[in-house]
Amino acid sequence: MFGLSNTSISNALYWITRKKWLILAFGISIILFYVPSPEGLSSEGHRTIIIAVTALILIVGEVISLPAVGILIIVMEVLLGLDSPDGVASSFMNDAVFFIMGSLMLAVAFVKQGWDSRIALGIIRITGNRTRNIVFGFVTMSALLSSFIGEHTVAALMLPLAMTLIRNTSKDQKRVRELSALLLLSIAYGALIGSIGTPSGGGRNAILITYLQFFDVSISYVDWMKMVYPLVLIQIPILTILLLTSFKPEYKRLDSGVRKLVVQVAKSGRMTTQATLAIVIFLLVFAGWIFLSETFGLGTIALAGVFLYLVTGLVRWEDINRNTHWGVIILFGSTISLGSYIKSTGAALWLANHLVNIAGSVLETFPILTDALIVGLTATLANILSSSATVAVLSPITLNMTSDPLHAGIVTAIASSFGYFTAVAAPACTIVYSSGMVHAKDFLKAGWKVGLVSIVLLLIYVNTYWVIFK
Amino acid sequence: MKFLIAIGSKEYSGPTLKLGMKVARAFNADVTIAYVGEKISSFSTSEVLMAQENLANWDVNRPGVEVLEWAYDILKERQYIAVPEGEGSITENELVQTDNDRCELYLEGTQSDEVKLILRNGEIISQLRDEVNRSEIDVTIIGGSQKRRMAHDLIQYIDSSIFVVNEYNPDQDYRVLLAVNDATNTQKAVKFGVRVARAFNFGVDMLTISESTIFREDYKASSAWAAKMMRRSETEHTINFETGSFKDKIVSTASDNHIIVMGASNVNPIMKFFKGSKPLKVMKSCHCPILIVK
Repeated sequence: MFGLSNTSISNALYWITRKKWLILAFGISIILFYVPSPEGLSSEGHRTIIIAVTALILIVGEVISLPAVGILIIVMEVLLGLDSPDGVASSFMNDAVFFIMGSLMLAVAFVKQGWDSRIALGIIRITGNRTRNIVFGFVTMSALLSSFIGEHTVAALMLPLAMTLIRNTSKDQKRVRELSALLLLSIAYGALIGSIGTPSGGGRNAILITYLQFFDVSISYVDWMKMVYPLVLIQIPILTILLLTSFKPEYKRLDSGVRKLVVQVAKSGRMTTQATLAIVIFLLVFAGWIFLSETFGLGTIALAGVFLYLVTGLVRWEDINRNTHWGVIILFGSTISLGSYIKSTGAALWLANHLVNIAGSVLETFPILTDALIVGLTATLANILSSSATVAVLSPITLNMTSDPLHAGIVTAIASSFGYFTAVAAPACTIVYSSGMVHAKDFLKAGWKVGLVSIVLLLIYVNTYWVIFK
Repeated sequence: MKFLIAIGSKEYSGPTLKLGMKVARAFNADVTIAYVGEKISSFSTSEVLMAQENLANWDVNRPGVEVLEWAYDILKERQYIAVPEGEGSITENELVQTDNDRCELYLEGTQSDEVKLILRNGEIISQLRDEVNRSEIDVTIIGGSQKRRMAHDLIQYIDSSIFVVNEYNPDQDYRVLLAVNDATNTQKAVKFGVRVARAFNFGVDMLTISESTIFREDYKASSAWAAKMMRRSETEHTINFETGSFKDKIVSTASDNHIIVMGASNVNPIMKFFKGSKPLKVMKSCHCPILIVK
């Protein structure tokens, strides 16, 4: 056909079937380009929405690499005339991107310190060998740690503890099937609920703080904690109960697993000077976030911490370079840039008004439904995309949906952590899923309960505690 | 020749690995055994890599390594690989990372120069296609459990012959069912069929099917050539001519006691994409192993 060999045609068909999302994205963007701008939406706003739709399809389809999506966003912003090349470049880099970069690097530094064995010993000493106590210990430790060092760091640190316990309990994977799901999801979900506790808990929190600044709203590290941390503490026992009702492990006590884990941990020896220094640097970073983040920003302080870890030789640049996801940094830089144009071109306001208009006067009569709408939209998108990408794309719109951007913003940030249903929703879920010991259906089995309870809890919390807090 | 055996899990891949190795032995082929693990969300690849490195510090293997260990133990037990006496199983440390989503381990084969164990992560068709192109594989052997979903993509996009070990029962007495017609790949299929039959000491049932009541001359010529091959190789065989639906006749004749061997379709890839092909239809309906020769 047209002088092409069967192999060439077959290769072309293969490319087309594998890149169907890419073709769809470009097809839709071309159609949208030629559709007249809707009433009330500026031409720039129209073009910004085209870029957002294209990026969203490409991220969901995972058809091209994430940095390629990020680069496409930047190129389209310039080509579609949203701003000058210099303007786009300056919107790409800000403190939230520094924070994402810094926290990914800090994660490598933390994991390299071998704190996991100390954490294991700490949990086991408190919980003993009863399975349900260990689950509570895992949820609590994951939630508390992820509030400060990020969910993916916690998942990477805690995964070997759970795997060691499981493997040492029984080699027969069928017998430890429920136990595996229980322990691994207690890490992933614990890390998720904790990651909203402080601004440094996740990149999405830093992205939100940047977006709030577009609305001339600022929030300090401590104020964030005051607003959100009680919810984290309430969720810990509830999550434990929900997980224990979802999975019924054969082993009610993990005698053998705990004994072998303790022996293994004992081999790691006493605290070294280096380990102490690593903790001191982390405490300095933490103090910096609490007391100096409003002046210097979360990102600069995180990078200062990375500098200290590097200069003291606690982590090598080669390790940071290998384990830092540079593609995600490019993607988030570009989505934050896109978010700033969604806001500045009026596209966010136009979309928010349309969403509110669809619900009509019901939202005015029952303001809680606006929260429900934000939570529903965010939680749904977070389970398809990822939590940070959801906040980057959605918060410019949700911040416009109420007269209180801080309220809407924090609700969006919290709801973005409700990625309980799929393994792709959050790095913590992907990490435990990559162990091969937990299946996609386990996320659904427990996720729907945890998700539903979290949504109800959040709606009650923001309409009671926040009212009192204010 | 080079064979690729794709394995999925210890529970379901035993027949695929065992039959695949037997066939590979019949051809003195180099063998690549590949396990393809779950695709990792691209948002978290570095984080997962970091977690897996941390797992290694705790002597916990990454997923898939235990499947390769199991495959190694079978190869060792059946003496497909040369292993010094007293040597244990493989460890994760022996796997060499060649790409972000691929590790490999070379072993010394007893029947051929090499046996390779591969650990990959990602979408299965893309990973198998990449491995086939990279290692210049002649035959890809895969289990039949997911055949309906994957059959189309396997035939359409994998650039090697495909052997689907579907509903294989080691205790069953099999014969080779050789579909003979005027397709370009029929001669190659006949040669494959003969080698498989001789290696396993199976008889061959040759079947030529015409969808009309008249048998074309090129069909008769193909059948005569195939019969000559059988006689030359002293393979016990029967010659059969039938009329009717190609798929229905092959599937009913093969039942569950044949290994079907047939050439890949000559049809243009675009037509194949939209309308399917005879081998694809047979593969989707049959209840026995099937080898489609390209």
